[in-house]
Amino acid sequence: MFNIMSITLKGIFRDRVFHGILVVAFILPLIPVISTLSMRQVTELSITLSLSLISFILLLLAVFLGGTALWKDIERRYTYSVLSLPITRSSYLLGRFFGNALFMLITATLLGCVAAVVVWLVASGSPPDRQVVWMNFFLAVFFDAMKYILLVAVAVLFSTVSSSFFLPIFGTISAFLVGSSSQQVYDYVNSQPAQTLSLLTRKTASSLYYVLPNFSAFDLKVNAIYGLPLSLKGLFLTVVYGLVYGGIVLALSSVIFAKKEMK
Amino acid sequence: MKGLNQLNKGLLRSYLSLVLLGLCYLLLIVPFTGYMHSKPFIEKLGHLPRVEVFQFVAADQKQLVSASLVMKVMMYFGGLMEQNQVKYKLPPDYPAMSRIIHGSVKLDPYNMDAYYLAQAFLVWDIGAYKIANDLLAYGMKYRTWDWYLPFFAGFNSAYFLKDYESAAKYYQMAADLSGQPMFSTLAGRYMHKSGQTVLALSYLSAMEKSEKNKAIKKSYSIRLQALQAVRTIEVARDSYLEATGRQPASVEELARSGHLVKIPADPYGGKFFFEVEGRVSTTSEFTFGKPGK
Amino acid sequence: MNAIEITNLSKTYKGKKFSTVEALKNLNLTVGQGEIFGFLGPNGAGKSTTIKALVGLIAPTAGSATVMGVDISSHEARRHVGYLPENPAFYDYLTAEEYLAFVGKVFHLPESLLREQSERVLKLLELWEARKRPIRGYSKGMVQRVGLAQVLIHDPDVYILDEPMSGLDPVGRALVKDIMLELKARGKCVFFSTHITADVETVCDRVGIILKGELKSVEHVDKIMTEGVLGYNLRIRTRNQPELVERYVAKEDLEMVMQKLFTAGDEISLIEPSRKSLEDFFLDIVKGKIC
Ligand SMILES: Nc1ncnc2c1ncn2[C@@H]1O[C@H](COP(=O)(O)OP(=O)(O)OP(=O)(O)O)[C@@H](O)[C@H]1O
Ligand SMILES: [Mg+2]
Repeated sequence: MFNIMSITLKGIFRDRVFHGILVVAFILPLIPVISTLSMRQVTELSITLSLSLISFILLLLAVFLGGTALWKDIERRYTYSVLSLPITRSSYLLGRFFGNALFMLITATLLGCVAAVVVWLVASGSPPDRQVVWMNFFLAVFFDAMKYILLVAVAVLFSTVSSSFFLPIFGTISAFLVGSSSQQVYDYVNSQPAQTLSLLTRKTASSLYYVLPNFSAFDLKVNAIYGLPLSLKGLFLTVVYGLVYGGIVLALSSVIFAKKEMK
Repeated sequence: MKGLNQLNKGLLRSYLSLVLLGLCYLLLIVPFTGYMHSKPFIEKLGHLPRVEVFQFVAADQKQLVSASLVMKVMMYFGGLMEQNQVKYKLPPDYPAMSRIIHGSVKLDPYNMDAYYLAQAFLVWDIGAYKIANDLLAYGMKYRTWDWYLPFFAGFNSAYFLKDYESAAKYYQMAADLSGQPMFSTLAGRYMHKSGQTVLALSYLSAMEKSEKNKAIKKSYSIRLQALQAVRTIEVARDSYLEATGRQPASVEELARSGHLVKIPADPYGGKFFFEVEGRVSTTSEFTFGKPGK
Repeated sequence: MNAIEITNLSKTYKGKKFSTVEALKNLNLTVGQGEIFGFLGPNGAGKSTTIKALVGLIAPTAGSATVMGVDISSHEARRHVGYLPENPAFYDYLTAEEYLAFVGKVFHLPESLLREQSERVLKLLELWEARKRPIRGYSKGMVQRVGLAQVLIHDPDVYILDEPMSGLDPVGRALVKDIMLELKARGKCVFFSTHITADVETVCDRVGIILKGELKSVEHVDKIMTEGVLGYNLRIRTRNQPELVERYVAKEDLEMVMQKLFTAGDEISLIEPSRKSLEDFFLDIVKGKIC
């Protein structure tokens, strides 16, 4: 599995998609300039922009690297040469996944540090009303990375279900959109004005909520931007949720992939 | 040899068409840019989808989308400030601006720029004091540390809504949050009628000084000019009252009687006049783009 | 212990719209250690299907198989196997050297042995010059050579090669044959599929011929060669003539003719069997003349 992980990492670093996405990171140094557009919250805007850019880059990576990792191997017939080695299907799959996950973590760390420097520069130029809470900033980046790693797991699941290109890519994007707003829908369905909806709709929405990934829990941007306090318990629950949900998705992927025929 | 010739000819033709198309582009780009530039503001503000759509599409980028919505309104507002001196083609679409701002705080209820911008145009330009204060109250639920919001709300309550009780409450909040006791004394002063213009002047000049954004600063300085004009007329009116024992009938009379050296101009392009109770007002209603001006 | 044991192996592919293809029907086959086995069959006969089942790429519909005594359903079975896929593809962003290192590590080769082996096989397959270039830039034959290199690097007991000669130049083909013979000498089992009968003739101990998913014949190549003798070409120098005379004698007439020549006191300078080639044997089976 570690062998697969290391060649996965090598593959990503030599991938053209990665190079393309890396170019997007060059927007980071522009953030101080854009931030001055704000009237009352220059530093806050710089944090917003940095975190959003990091998020966006990680999203692209998750969709295009995570979503294509297995598909490419099958499409280019690498699976014949790799899966006939004495490794189990699941260790191959996990190797692929953890390679991607590790890469996302590395990227997030690097971008997070660069962004921190950028924000620090902005903050020292135009001091914010409230001090930047660096702890929150880095936690936000870390949880963002976790969220997209979870998305990679979902992408891997899609890749094992279908060997086409479309399901992994578009399935992952929809999972991301739905997962980001599932909490909102759930909250709405359980609110007073929604009681006029039919019981079936409400029940369906609620049960979907429990099945679909909940990405909004990982979104700590608002805490980082405005220095709002974080709940330790909430963070802990979110981490555990991420681990368990990711574990389930990967286990499911392993089962499906083990049965898959490399014809 | 012949084949080579043919090849060269083909290549030459490609080059020629490239040059021709390049020329066409140059000819086109000037009028095109002109057209895009002169496109009315209303179009640039555009028709935005409902907040619910944004909430879904924004996914985990709600703060970013919120910020960009405020930016959009900002640019539009800035454009108004630039164009007004010349001549604007369409009345500003204040309802759309308000709608977008409300949408943006739905996405990010912490977005200070949104409240700030709303305060700048909602109260002064369209007199939607109630809406402004509701928005500020919404913001106060989230930005619990911020004294600006109650400060704005206090000002609106006292100056526009004449709701001195609420004003006192808001000013107290602002004083508590900022640690500056000066706010708590402000509300009381508003009760004097003549004091209103003075305090609006001090509020505006403070806001104008601390403002870095050009468009907002400009909107404040224009308003400041207008209020300074009002203040000048008020001073003249008061001295006229003292000298003659009665209210002047018109601003022109003040000038004729020598109490007013020169009738100040309304930067909004209106004409000053006295309301029945003697209050100084203007036909522009202190805003650009009033129809029938 | 047999290197490969296949019992009642069947594979039915499920296509779209409930269509099925019976690619393999009840295959029984054993291949011993130290044996080179040629798997011969026309296109679509089921050679690759058999091989893919052996290396765990597809699951057999029925039946079972073992490699070095380990059931193929376990990935441990592949620990003894070097597999070369047909038209192989390898992570093309890696260089040949990196790919070999990856394979070596999967097989737990110690670092020093890995480096040694890597150099040996790269030089053997004439990839040494290109070893630091990504596989992306390799020619078809070079990729095939990488495929062979990654089979050889971990020195397995069983070699399962799907059309190992395809895409190789004549020098490469000869090299592969030499390698196979050398492996056999070291007691390894080589199981390979091919369409080319000449290759089988020169290196194989046994050949299996598969047709439409059914194994039609498994024979020792030697036996086919002897049974395939149709007659003999004799070169004779008779006493009254100084020149050599060539004469063809049918198989059943040989004894009689020899007897005659002896009694006549003629000198036989050469006896050469004239036989049906393996190709003919193969074609006969395909056309249904035998069995
Ligand atoms: N993925 C698949 N789905 C459906 N049928 C398949 C699939 N792969 C192979 N087949 C069928 O199985 C049969 C055997 O195919 P196989 O690839 O084993 O042939 P082969 O002997 O290797 O042929 P070749 O010499 O062309 O490589 C063929 O009829 C083929 O059409
Ligand atoms: Mg084949």
